[in-house]
Amino acid sequence: MENLVQIALQNVNMAAILPSLVLTCFGMGLLLINVFLPRGTTRHAVWISVIGLVVTGFFVYTGWGNPQYGFNDAVANDNYTAFFSVIFLFAAGLTILMSDDYLTREGYPVSEYYPLILFATAGAMWMASGTDMLTIFLGLEVMSIALYVLAGFFRGQLRSNEAGLKYFLLGAFSTGFLLYGIALIYGVTGSTKLTEIGIYLNAHGSLLENPMTLAGLVLLSTGFLFKIAAAPFHMWTPDVYEGAPTPVTAFMSAGPKAAAFAAFLRIMEYCFFSLKPEWTAMLWVIAVLTMVIGNVIAIQQTNLKRMLAYSSIAHAGYALVGLVAANEIGYSGILFYMLAYTFMNIGAFAVLVLAGKKGEDNLTLEGFSGFGLKRPFLGVAMTVFLFSLMGLPPTAGFAGKFYIFAGAVKAGYIWLAVIGVLNSAVSLYYYLRIMVYMYFRDAEEDYAWVSLPAAAVISIVIALIGVFYLGIIPGDVMEMAKMAIF
Amino acid sequence: MSALLFYILGFIMLAATLLCITRRNPVHAVIYLVASFFALAIMFYLLGAPLVAAFEVIVYAGAIMVLFLFIIMMLGLAPQETPEGPGWKRWGPLVLLSSSLMICTLMLIFQDPAASKEIGAFYLAPQAVGEALFGRYALAVEVISFQLLFATIGAYMLGKPLSKGDQ
Repeated sequence: MENLVQIALQNVNMAAILPSLVLTCFGMGLLLINVFLPRGTTRHAVWISVIGLVVTGFFVYTGWGNPQYGFNDAVANDNYTAFFSVIFLFAAGLTILMSDDYLTREGYPVSEYYPLILFATAGAMWMASGTDMLTIFLGLEVMSIALYVLAGFFRGQLRSNEAGLKYFLLGAFSTGFLLYGIALIYGVTGSTKLTEIGIYLNAHGSLLENPMTLAGLVLLSTGFLFKIAAAPFHMWTPDVYEGAPTPVTAFMSAGPKAAAFAAFLRIMEYCFFSLKPEWTAMLWVIAVLTMVIGNVIAIQQTNLKRMLAYSSIAHAGYALVGLVAANEIGYSGILFYMLAYTFMNIGAFAVLVLAGKKGEDNLTLEGFSGFGLKRPFLGVAMTVFLFSLMGLPPTAGFAGKFYIFAGAVKAGYIWLAVIGVLNSAVSLYYYLRIMVYMYFRDAEEDYAWVSLPAAAVISIVIALIGVFYLGIIPGDVMEMAKMAIF
Repeated sequence: MSALLFYILGFIMLAATLLCITRRNPVHAVIYLVASFFALAIMFYLLGAPLVAAFEVIVYAGAIMVLFLFIIMMLGLAPQETPEGPGWKRWGPLVLLSSSLMICTLMLIFQDPAASKEIGAFYLAPQAVGEALFGRYALAVEVISFQLLFATIGAYMLGKPLSKGDQ
C-alpha cells in the first residue's frame, strides 16, 4: 500500500462549469420533487424548470468577459460558451413553456419530461464549452440520449416510437463516425486537447497531407454534419421531426443544432486552422447541397411539421455558409443566426402546437385554411415568424442572413452568397403558401380550437420580441457575437 | 514474436467479424463476435494494456454478449427448425478460430517475459488508469455517471407498461 498515491482532483475550477452545474442540479432536484408529488401534476415542473433556466442564465451572464478554464483544459467557460449557452437556455425555456398544455392534451402529463429537457440543455452547454474532444463527445452523448427519449416520449403513438428509434439508431451510427474521427486524430497527434492538436498539426506540416489526418477530419465532420442535419446526412430529419412531439421537434431544431455548430466551429478553428483551404472547400459543396435539397424538397410538403423539418435543413445550409467564409463576420454571423433561428423557428412551432384541434394535431396545409382570421393573434405571430424564416426585414432572419452572406462576400465567395440568396427566394414559395392558406382560404368546418394557455402565449411573445429586437437593432447582439468568437 | 501474434490475431478478428455479420442464425453471430472480442483482448494485452484486455473480456465478451444472447432467446429470434448438414460445417470455422486463439494465449503465457516488450513500448498499469480517470479525466467520469442516471430514468420512462390512459 505504500505506493498508493494521493489521488486529488487536478485543476478543479468549478467556475468553468458553473452554469451547467447549476442546471443539472435543478434537473436532479426536480426529479426528486417529482417522486413526492402525485402522478399527473406537471405545473410545478414547468415553473421550477423555468426558474432553473433563469438562474443558470444569471451565471452565464456573470461568466461573460470573465473566461474560466478548468479540469486540465477540458472545459472553457469563455464568451463563446456564454453566447451559445444563452441560445440553449432560450431554446429550452421557450420549449418548456409551450409544452405543459400540449402534453396534458395529448394524454402524457409526465413530469420527467422537464428534467430531460434540462439535461439535454446541460449536454449542449458541455458541447459548446468543451476544449477537449472527450468533453465534447460526452456532451454530445448527454444531449443525444436525452433527446432519444424525448423523441419517443409519446409511447403509445407509433409515429413517436418510430421517431425515437430512428433517431437512436442513426444517432448511434453518426456517433460512431465522430468517435472514429476523434480516434484517428488522436492517433496522428497523440492528444485530445483541441489547442494541442492544433499546435501539433501546425508544427508538423507533413502531417497535413497524411491520409490519416484527412480521414479523421472527414469522419469528424461527418459526425457533426449529421447532428446539424446537413445534406447528404439529412435523411433522418423529416421522419424524426414529424414523429416527435411538436415541442420536442421545436427544441431539436434549435438547441442541438446550435450545439453541434458550437462544437464543430470550435474544433475547426482550434484544431484544423492549418487545414482551412481543405475544409472550406469541402463545406462549400455541403452548404450548397444542404440549401438546395432543403428548399427544393420543402416545396412539395403538405405537412407543416415536415415542411419545417426541410426548412430547418435549409437553414443549416445558410449557417454553414458562415463556416465556409471562415472570417470574423462569418463566424459571428453563425452565432447571431443561431440565436435568431431559435426565436423564429421555436416561435413557429409554438404556433403549430396551439393550432391543434382538441385531441389531434392539426398540421396539414388544408387544416390551416382560414386560420389567420379565426385566431388573429396566432395568425399574426405565425406571419411574423414566417417572414423571419424567409429573411425579410425588419425581422431577425433578415439580419442573420445579411451578416452570413456579407461574410461570404467578404471572403470572396460571391457565388456562394448568390446561391444562398437564390435559395431564399425559392423558400418564399412554401412559406408564403402557408400564409395564403391562413388568410385567403375559407375554413371548411368550425373546429373546436384549443384555448390559449398563458405559458404558451408567453413563449410566443418572447419569441416575437426576440425576432423584432434582433431584426430592428441587430448591432448590439452582433457586437457581442464578435466579442464571443475567438 | 509479438509481431507474428499481432498478425495472427488481426486475421482472427477479421475472419470472426466477417463470419459474424454473414451468419443467418443470430446465436452463431454472437458466438463469432465473442471470438472477435477475445482476439481484441489479447491484442490489447500485447500493446501493453492488460487492464483494457481484462475489461474487453469481462465487459464485452462477458456481460454485453450474455445480454445479447439473453435478448435473442427472450425474443425467440433463434431459428426453430433443426439445422441440416454435418455439424463440422457449422462449427468448423469457430473451432478453428478459437483453437488458434487458445494457441496464441498459450504462446503468450509460456513465452520469455522479456520478449513481451517487443511491440508494447510502454506498459499501462491499472493504477495509472485509475489515477488518470480520477485525476485528469475527473470531469468526464462525473459526466458519465450523471448520464447513466438519466439514461436509467429514460429507459424506465419508455419501458414501463402502458397505463390505461395511453392508446
